[in-house]
Amino acid sequence: MSFFGFDTTLPRDRQQGGPARGFFENPDPFAEVARAQAVEDDDGIDFEDTYDGLGDQLDDDQDAFNDDTFGGGDTGAAATGAVGRDFDFFGTTAKVADVIGEEQVRYALQNPSAAPLAAQQHAAAPAPTTTATTATTTAKRTGYEKYSDPGYIPDLQAKSSVWGISQKKQEPIPAASRRPMMSLEEVEAQLRHRSQPAPTMPPQSIPQHMAEQAYLPHPQYPQGVPEGFPAIPPEYLRAALEKGVLPPGMPGLPPGIPELHGGPVMSGPPPMHIQQNQLPPQNLRPQGPRHAGPPPGQRQQQQMPPPPSTRGPNGGLPVITNPQQLMHLTEEQRNAYLVEDAKRAKRNHKIFLLSRGNGLMTPQDKNFITRIQLQQLVAAAGNVADADPEAVLSEDFYYQVYSQIRGAPRQHPHQPLGHFAQTYLLQTGNRLGGHGNRRAFQSADNHMQRMQQQVQRAVEAAKAKPKNKQLIIEGSLGKISFSNAKAPKHMLNIKRPDSSEGPRPKKVQSDLSLSDRKSILTNIESVYSALMAMEDMERTMPPPPEEGDSEAIQEHMEWRQKVHSLNQKLWRALKVMEPIVPNSTTPHPFIAFLSYPKGKKAIPRIFRHIDQEQRVTILTMIVVHLDSLDVVRLAQPGPGEAQPSLAVRESIDLFSLAVMPSLLGYVNEAPFNIIIGLLGLVIAQTHVQSVARTKVGLGILTMLLSRAEIVKEAGQAAERDWQQWVEKFNVLFDTLEPSLADIFPGAINTGDDMYVWQFLAAVGIGASPEQQQRLVIAVKDRVMETVGYSKTLPADMASLRLGNVNLFMRAIGLDVELLG
Amino acid sequence: MLFFSFFKTLTNQTVTIELKNDIRIRGILKSVDQYLNIKLDDIEVLDLDKYPHLSSVKSMFIRGSVVRYVMLPRSEVDVGLLEDATRREAANQVGKTR
Repeated sequence: MSFFGFDTTLPRDRQQGGPARGFFENPDPFAEVARAQAVEDDDGIDFEDTYDGLGDQLDDDQDAFNDDTFGGGDTGAAATGAVGRDFDFFGTTAKVADVIGEEQVRYALQNPSAAPLAAQQHAAAPAPTTTATTATTTAKRTGYEKYSDPGYIPDLQAKSSVWGISQKKQEPIPAASRRPMMSLEEVEAQLRHRSQPAPTMPPQSIPQHMAEQAYLPHPQYPQGVPEGFPAIPPEYLRAALEKGVLPPGMPGLPPGIPELHGGPVMSGPPPMHIQQNQLPPQNLRPQGPRHAGPPPGQRQQQQMPPPPSTRGPNGGLPVITNPQQLMHLTEEQRNAYLVEDAKRAKRNHKIFLLSRGNGLMTPQDKNFITRIQLQQLVAAAGNVADADPEAVLSEDFYYQVYSQIRGAPRQHPHQPLGHFAQTYLLQTGNRLGGHGNRRAFQSADNHMQRMQQQVQRAVEAAKAKPKNKQLIIEGSLGKISFSNAKAPKHMLNIKRPDSSEGPRPKKVQSDLSLSDRKSILTNIESVYSALMAMEDMERTMPPPPEEGDSEAIQEHMEWRQKVHSLNQKLWRALKVMEPIVPNSTTPHPFIAFLSYPKGKKAIPRIFRHIDQEQRVTILTMIVVHLDSLDVVRLAQPGPGEAQPSLAVRESIDLFSLAVMPSLLGYVNEAPFNIIIGLLGLVIAQTHVQSVARTKVGLGILTMLLSRAEIVKEAGQAAERDWQQWVEKFNVLFDTLEPSLADIFPGAINTGDDMYVWQFLAAVGIGASPEQQQRLVIAVKDRVMETVGYSKTLPADMASLRLGNVNLFMRAIGLDVELLG
Repeated sequence: MLFFSFFKTLTNQTVTIELKNDIRIRGILKSVDQYLNIKLDDIEVLDLDKYPHLSSVKSMFIRGSVVRYVMLPRSEVDVGLLEDATRREAANQVGKTR
């Protein structure tokens, strides 16, 4: 299929093919050659075969046309050697555009035979010498015709063929559309007929190597679909002429010209023509040197027996369009020619093979498929655009935080799947760019850009698409559910009850009893959600505002406002301020909250987000309810048991690990009067003797006593406060004294009793000498027991036990060493 | 995505996977995807006597849908964090269904 609708098959091809071919059954013009080459044509299609090698033929040494391009020479700039900073090459060229145009017309007038010759060059055997001369004189101008019209704007189109998006197809040339099919001969005859009287266009209007390749039967790949087909200069000229607008450089063109401008192009080899035009126009320019291919000598021999230079438009082999021409060549030339020919044919054949599927899908089809694939990718991997940390954190919270906490163990810690699409794109780009070839690189670049744009568009489309979860096609029996990794297909489709109906009755119930298990757990969850919200707020804290930056101050104020409201929410959820009902069977909500492990675990996090006043409220609450705390209430070993049950021990440990440090942290900064008040509460509100038998109870007492001692040591205690404290302490001591022997956990050989010795030490320091005496008497047995027991223990354990005892002994000014 | 997120933190740990056909495989978790397909390296099939055909397999890719259990090293699980992640996930789900 030729683009212009001509039948470009040569007579010999036509015989076998016949006109009845189907649309896709293009004749393979190279089949013959390929068959001839079958022996050596066993390798795959490699780059060398498909790369036209034009780049290699660029002759960087030759600067013959630099003056034309860079405005040296004529303008005198080059003569002085000053290069200047004006790199407006196009502008410089455009300055001489008129001159170029004038030269063309002048030449056309002077050599009326040039155009027929040009046509001949395509159609029949050219007269070698004439072609050579004409070409030499005009080669300099080749390719610049289009610039001769000052109003001309080069057709700037991206190389879209790589992406497969076609521009609007060019309007077919009227002449061609009118006559649907013409044989090559017919066209030639017509051309010749028309051009008889007329002076002609200089031959340079046909790119030289195009003509040179005219001898090839033209591959008829569907590639001929003109994607990114720029305006054809001669056509443009002709159109301009028809409109009566003559380019300034061509004042007196004879009337025959318009057709002639179009003529050679139309009769030329359309596929080649298209390929040519896909190159930027300036690529066409240095034709002479470029086409001095590797075996230039042999080619030139025909026209100029000694090869003087590789330049000149006739540098290639003679244009052979007729088999008989071969007969006139020497043996050597013929061989060289055949080799060249075979090579070219082989290459073209491979291109043909590659392009067999071309055109099966329209660019729109390809776009459609790509969009589907990308949408899948985007849907499965999350939106590429959503890569902001917030979204990642909410989708991938555990992983993100875990890798922050434990140090990222993986190769790509911050490469969640959302980047998958991008990675994929980059890889594709690299692979294509790896050709090391300018054009390949350029196209890869282009390809990538387009791919990225495509992804973006796909993402937009996916976002814009309404989120239909299922599709019911009319008349079908089932529904099609859409699913992806994030939103899997639902196996069951259960209608949720409207929120107004379902949970209502339950809520009423839960309001009635604040302390049943379920509502306690709900409370705990609401505390956690408030906590998480606060922690999120902490992350998004704006930087501290600078002086005068009202916007930042405003932002900060808003943030503080939000934090405050969250704090209030948390505080309400904790239910610390619920009224205390004395002698109630149900524990206070906050105490119930603390009876669950996750409630205990929440305390350190809560303490970070509340102020001192709230902390003291919590501490007070705990102290007041000390004996109803599960870790105190259940910690008394049952009758006949050495220690509480395992579950209770675990929860005691958890309480000691989670809650106590927070409380201790507060108490260590608490003012003295609060300590006094708390001790008073312990004495007044709780059953001190049973509290003292538990680890947690003793721990809290130790906390208070040691804080008081530290305040006293630091001399911060006012005399009145201290008097108050001593009173309270005396009450406590008197209450505890009878049961001091019982506060130890079980027998000497069971478990850890360090906390008891710590408590005794705290009591001992604060006690009066008389009280110390009583203390020693009370615990003397245990001290002696421990000392004796430690002798039976291995050295390290013994020193540990003795060290514990010594905590107490030193506090009252003694030492276990004294006991011998 | 919670489970995906969770299993991602277990890569390069040794886990034991029990399939729905009772085969138990211990190996190093190399990677996991959002379908919870699992790639295991250096595998060792418990009860190899029953499944001699697996004796020469060194690594495998397990389709997520055939996994019954994954036994994890406890020390590699941050329970508190996992609880919070679960809460977030639940909140996300509630947000989505509305």
